[in-house]
Amino acid sequence: MIKTATYCKRNLLFALMIIMAIFMALLFRIGYLMIFKADHYGIMAKQVQERERVIKAARGIIYDRNGKVLATNESVCTISVINSQVTEPDRVIEVLSKKLAIDEEKIRKLVEKKSSMEKIKSNVDKKTADEIRDCDLDGVMVDEDYKRVYPQGELASKVIGFTGSDNQGIVGLETKYDKYLKGTNGKIFTVTNAAGIRVDNKESTRQEALKGYNLYTTIDINIQKYAMQAAKKVYEQKSAKGVKIISMNPDNGEIYACVDYPEYDLNNPYKIQGKDEDENGENGALNLDALNEMWRNSCISDTYEPGSTFKIITATAALEKGVVSLDETFNCVGYKVVEDRKIRCHKTSGHGSETFVQATGNSCNPVFMELGARVGAKDMYSCYRKLGLFSTTGVDLPGEAGPIMHKLENIGAVELATMSFGQSIQITPFALLRSVSAVINNGRLVTPHFGMYIEDDDKNVKKVIDNNQTTGVVLGDTCDKMKYILEKVVSEGGGSKGQVEGYRIGGKTATSQKLPRGSGKYIASFIGFAPADAPKIITIVLIDEPQGVYYGGTIAAPVVADIYSNILPYMDIECDK
Amino acid sequence: MTRQREEKKSFFKLNNYYDYTLLFLTIFLVCFGLVMIYSSSSYVAQRSDKYNYDAAFFMKKQAKNAILGVILMMIASKVDYRKLTAQVGKFKLVYIFYIFCVILQMYVLKFGQMLNGKRRWVKFGPLSFQPSDLTKLAIIILIACLVFKAPGQMDNIGGFLRIGVYTGPAILLIAIANLSTAIVASAIVGGMCFVASRRKWYYGAALIAFAAFVGIFIKFFSDGYRSSRIQTWLNIDTAEGGYQIRQGLYAIASGGLTGTGLGDSMQKLGFIPEAQNDMIFSVICEELGIFGAIVVMFLFAMLLYRIYIIALNAPDLFGSMICVGVMIQVAVQVVINVAVVTNSMPSTGIALPFISYGGTSLIIMMAEIGLVLGVSNRIYHKRTI
Repeated sequence: MIKTATYCKRNLLFALMIIMAIFMALLFRIGYLMIFKADHYGIMAKQVQERERVIKAARGIIYDRNGKVLATNESVCTISVINSQVTEPDRVIEVLSKKLAIDEEKIRKLVEKKSSMEKIKSNVDKKTADEIRDCDLDGVMVDEDYKRVYPQGELASKVIGFTGSDNQGIVGLETKYDKYLKGTNGKIFTVTNAAGIRVDNKESTRQEALKGYNLYTTIDINIQKYAMQAAKKVYEQKSAKGVKIISMNPDNGEIYACVDYPEYDLNNPYKIQGKDEDENGENGALNLDALNEMWRNSCISDTYEPGSTFKIITATAALEKGVVSLDETFNCVGYKVVEDRKIRCHKTSGHGSETFVQATGNSCNPVFMELGARVGAKDMYSCYRKLGLFSTTGVDLPGEAGPIMHKLENIGAVELATMSFGQSIQITPFALLRSVSAVINNGRLVTPHFGMYIEDDDKNVKKVIDNNQTTGVVLGDTCDKMKYILEKVVSEGGGSKGQVEGYRIGGKTATSQKLPRGSGKYIASFIGFAPADAPKIITIVLIDEPQGVYYGGTIAAPVVADIYSNILPYMDIECDK
Repeated sequence: MTRQREEKKSFFKLNNYYDYTLLFLTIFLVCFGLVMIYSSSSYVAQRSDKYNYDAAFFMKKQAKNAILGVILMMIASKVDYRKLTAQVGKFKLVYIFYIFCVILQMYVLKFGQMLNGKRRWVKFGPLSFQPSDLTKLAIIILIACLVFKAPGQMDNIGGFLRIGVYTGPAILLIAIANLSTAIVASAIVGGMCFVASRRKWYYGAALIAFAAFVGIFIKFFSDGYRSSRIQTWLNIDTAEGGYQIRQGLYAIASGGLTGTGLGDSMQKLGFIPEAQNDMIFSVICEELGIFGAIVVMFLFAMLLYRIYIIALNAPDLFGSMICVGVMIQVAVQVVINVAVVTNSMPSTGIALPFISYGGTSLIIMMAEIGLVLGVSNRIYHKRTI
């Protein structure tokens, strides 16, 4: 019998020590993985173990200035199927196609698609969804969801805008304030096995959705309604291409109303007027241009030659420079020769002898060409700049267009003359409204705006939308003179149709030729404010391509008078005559 | 004569030491394995028609094998291991057993059942098993016998080469179908020779030769997928082929200090493929936490220590070398399995002894422990020990 040698025992001990050392090393490795790598792999593990479902956050409500609802949410449901959990595909297909009125083939394709979850239809009303839920179909998910609804329909549609199916703002205020309105989506984490099937005894964890903040706007629903009615009336009477009306508080830039008629139905934004509903049809791409045209707010996105309303700016520049006084007398012969050109007045026979105030009332072009020449291009532009005409207004809507102006060095006598009565430059109605506001509010250049403040559901104000003002852009003395002149325009001059019984109205009419000149297309406009001595509201009306009579004084001024006769009493502005 | 007889009698009756600690450790590990197999396989098994929707499918099968294993272990521990060196006809029993295994290895390569693209299984009627497990046992006994016959030879190159020549064919045959098992077998050969030899530097050289062998094998015989395993190992978080190991790491990392609790593993819900097999240690980590892992490792360490004690006190060199072989096999398999699961080395399929699901491995392993117990039973027991 051979006994085990001592060296064998020694060797064996050595082997055992090595093995134990490796064991220890492995234990350290395990400890490292389980403690220090726990988060790293733990998160990766959760990602494979959990199916995430989104709980949509309710979008914030949009109110007008008095707390009337402009946009809110309605509970709807999203129906989806989980392929791996469907036990009776045929019944699922039959029920869904019947309840949702979708083609059976279309649903079959979605149901049989091998994906973890397939959305069948969103924005299903609650009643239908409950019916589907009651059918108790395996693998069919009914998720609560919200749909945006606009109780006022097409009112202020181009201002408010609407949201897409994913509850994200697409145009208008819905886009501009999307980050406040949208809220934070919640999540449901469902624990699943490798096949994606929910594990029965594991609790789902929920991360609640946070509702979006509410937006209070400066819009006054009543003024907006009056304005839209007035716009609709003149749109129909004059068979116009469009009518724009903007009413603003000249003191602080709060916009009471902004109409760009024709509007569209916010609850059905993909329906093009006069066409059948074609929500997701094949010619959707073709319709996109038409839809964009329909959604576009041309009050801020389109520029135009302002025409005679722009004489307010020229007169302001002349008064600021002191090159004219109110009682200075001019003589209009029906034209003015500038360099080699004879530029006509709209009254070709001439206005004859007239004071500066009368000339403004007559909207006499030669007088304003003369004033332009007296001010000079450089000082004219410096006045423009002060009045904010070289920049966008900063209105809180997407897509604002900038001005189109000559370069200073390119301005000759002819350009200066045409600019003086509002031709050869292009600005948006908003820009003109802002500049005129500065002229009549003692020289404060305001930022027009729709958003007032943002608050949460518990009425805690989260953000006050600040609006820059630049003071002192026009001398106070000039302002008083301009208010006097513009009041005279309405009381005695060409804006007489803008008079409102019992109120002092100031304003200026314009009839702009649309480019190219001679096309016979016009924009009739009127800018009017009340009360004339201390304006509380300023309104601009633009009638695009009216048929028949196209003079601003004849057709646009009565629109403002119509609106004012309704809203001035509503706004508690006292009669002072 | 009477004195001798009496001495012999007392040797068996009075001094028959039996290592109950080792027996207990083995049975404990097997039972623990059954629990973990049930835990890690029940969810998948009860959802699959392949397993008759029976949650206990794997556990039941393994339990049957465990019972067979216990019986074999008992028999092996009661039969005198020295009978293995007995002469049967012209050859010793050890050689016949070894040659039988080599033939079986050849048979399996030609006629074995295909499973996952590899021929590793032999089927004899209702019995189906992996011969490679049996071959490992044969190699252990063969080397023990060779060393026992001529212990002095282990001190020179000739003896070492002889062992290489004897065991080479079996290892090569295993390597063709199953490289990881061949690595274990080589480690057994190397380890046993190391223990038996006075010349340690041989084994330094042998280790280098072994590494070179593995390197050459990977270079010339690898089908691309083995070398890509190394890439997978190094970039486990992103590598495409690392799915299984990655899922195992998720499980281990999810365990934390105390684990998710027995039966509450998430990763066994189909994320880890065949969680009851080679990856079972990751489920243990997830459910029982770091303390569970330490306990399991400690149990194995205890088991190895008991085998070591038996090897030291074995009545002869043959028994001692058998213990050494078994100890090295258990140790190497535990180390490789845990190292693979924790991504400490490139992935390779080695079962965790006594715990992983797998009939052949369990039964042969228990039989080996039976042999060790048999050695312990022959220890001349002094009361002082």
